[in-house]
Amino acid sequence: MDLNLLAQALVSGILAAGLYALVSVGLALAIGVIGIVNFAHGEFFMIGAFLAYQLFVSFGIDPVWSLLLVAPALGLIGALIYTSTIRFVLKAPELNQMLLTFGIGIILTNMALLIWGGDPRTIAGIAYRSIGYQVGGVSIGLVPLASFVISFTLVLGLYWMLARTPIGRAMRAVAQNRTGAALVGLEVNRVYLVAFALSAALAGIGGVMIAVIQSPTPGVGLAFTLKAFAIVVVAGLGNIRGVLFASLFVAISESLVATLVPNGDTLRNAVFFAIIFAVLVWRSRRVA
Amino acid sequence: MSVVLTAKGLSKRFGGLAAVDDVSFEVEQGEIFAIIGPNGAGKTTTLNLVSGLLVPTAGSVTLHGRDLTTLTAAERCHAGLGRAFQVVQPFPEMTVRENVLVGAMFGTPGISRADAERRADHALEVTGTTNLAERDAEELTLMEEKRLEIARALATAPTVLLLDEVMAGLRPAEARDAVRLVRSVRDEGVTVVFIEHVMPVVRDLADRVLVMDYGKVLTEGRYADVTKDQRVIEAYLGRDDDAPPTDVAAAAAPAGASGDAAEDEA
Repeated sequence: MDLNLLAQALVSGILAAGLYALVSVGLALAIGVIGIVNFAHGEFFMIGAFLAYQLFVSFGIDPVWSLLLVAPALGLIGALIYTSTIRFVLKAPELNQMLLTFGIGIILTNMALLIWGGDPRTIAGIAYRSIGYQVGGVSIGLVPLASFVISFTLVLGLYWMLARTPIGRAMRAVAQNRTGAALVGLEVNRVYLVAFALSAALAGIGGVMIAVIQSPTPGVGLAFTLKAFAIVVVAGLGNIRGVLFASLFVAISESLVATLVPNGDTLRNAVFFAIIFAVLVWRSRRVA
Repeated sequence: MSVVLTAKGLSKRFGGLAAVDDVSFEVEQGEIFAIIGPNGAGKTTTLNLVSGLLVPTAGSVTLHGRDLTTLTAAERCHAGLGRAFQVVQPFPEMTVRENVLVGAMFGTPGISRADAERRADHALEVTGTTNLAERDAEELTLMEEKRLEIARALATAPTVLLLDEVMAGLRPAEARDAVRLVRSVRDEGVTVVFIEHVMPVVRDLADRVLVMDYGKVLTEGRYADVTKDQRVIEAYLGRDDDAPPTDVAAAAAPAGASGDAAEDEA
């Protein structure tokens, strides 16, 4: 086997893991704190990507600056969706919750198709996209590297926030015992609102980065929902801290299969399904 | 003495069933007030109406003259109502101290971090949980959990603390500790309203007793008086004209268990 190729696959996987973790950690936050399985999570990511695209096309705003604009915008969109829909199904059966978020996802995808059409959109002519480094035969692009660093920093920042800050404590308290939290003075609904908005904002930031890394179509949301689900399942549903490790595992698996298996690039999505399948079967065998 | 907590005409219907029907009572500053009654009398529902976990069909709750009826559970907590549960509600993946700190931080809006820490430490001390502070809440024994539950409620700086069957499931020695614990909470200046099945505990702790049956108030007064009330005896024992009159305490205390615990305490 070509060792260079293997090293390249590993590095690509690790770099991709940052972005995956950023998107997945938001999904895990919604599941862990609010108890909502948000199938529209990838669509927040997609909207982030297209907002970055539009800001660039209309106003010439560099995606680096879009990061700062898109995050609050998605936070606001998340807050609106929570207030207008999610909060009414908190006590509904899980199937109803999933149907609702799935429906929201479909609506958002189709709105994006109406506005931007189905063709891939490229943020053209940004100089730093072509910058890359060679390290011992492995090539590392500046953009994937920066995306990894930003994502990784944000995920660690979220962990820090959950562990150390008042709002993080509030989120953990609400996640662990909703009734107990309300009785010690926590407005549970407000904490949920913040958690959902934060979840959407993190996805939006990820979207800005994918708009630079790839040329996304409105279908990119569903693809990333799938990736995020595989990661959240590996980490354990709602386990926020496990997401970082799970992202590495899933992203490296994807990268190895895509690089080392003949025609592997077409198998990328299969890797996620296989991982979800394998983990669920393994877990249920352990229980039985 | 001044009235601190007032429930007026509280009613709760679940469909056609009136779980609580026109319940009124007043609790005075610094007293220990018991709500007793047979199973299904509506005691816990009443406490849920007072603490805001349930919305009453009719009636009002007033604390220090302030109407709490339309407030959420969290807002009532901020107003000064603490609540501890029969089935404890800890944050299992936090340490005991962090549990109590959450109560201190969010029970009083705008409290500084230092004050919250101080209040948490004080609540740990009062409830005798200082030595458990660094343990995870999920590792605790039942009695330790109950202490934590009360410590956390105490850390929210309540003027009135609502306790729902604190003694349930405790062994005699533990029940004795729990009685002491409730007293020390009152000695902190906190008014206590509690639901209890174990009658000797009620006798030892309660300044006044409210007796409920079928969702209504049967009577109210001092322990010695209400337990002699024929209606109360009937509510607990059923109406039986041939049976000799019996002590309510003996009937209500579950087979010996926690009964003698409180005896020793007295």
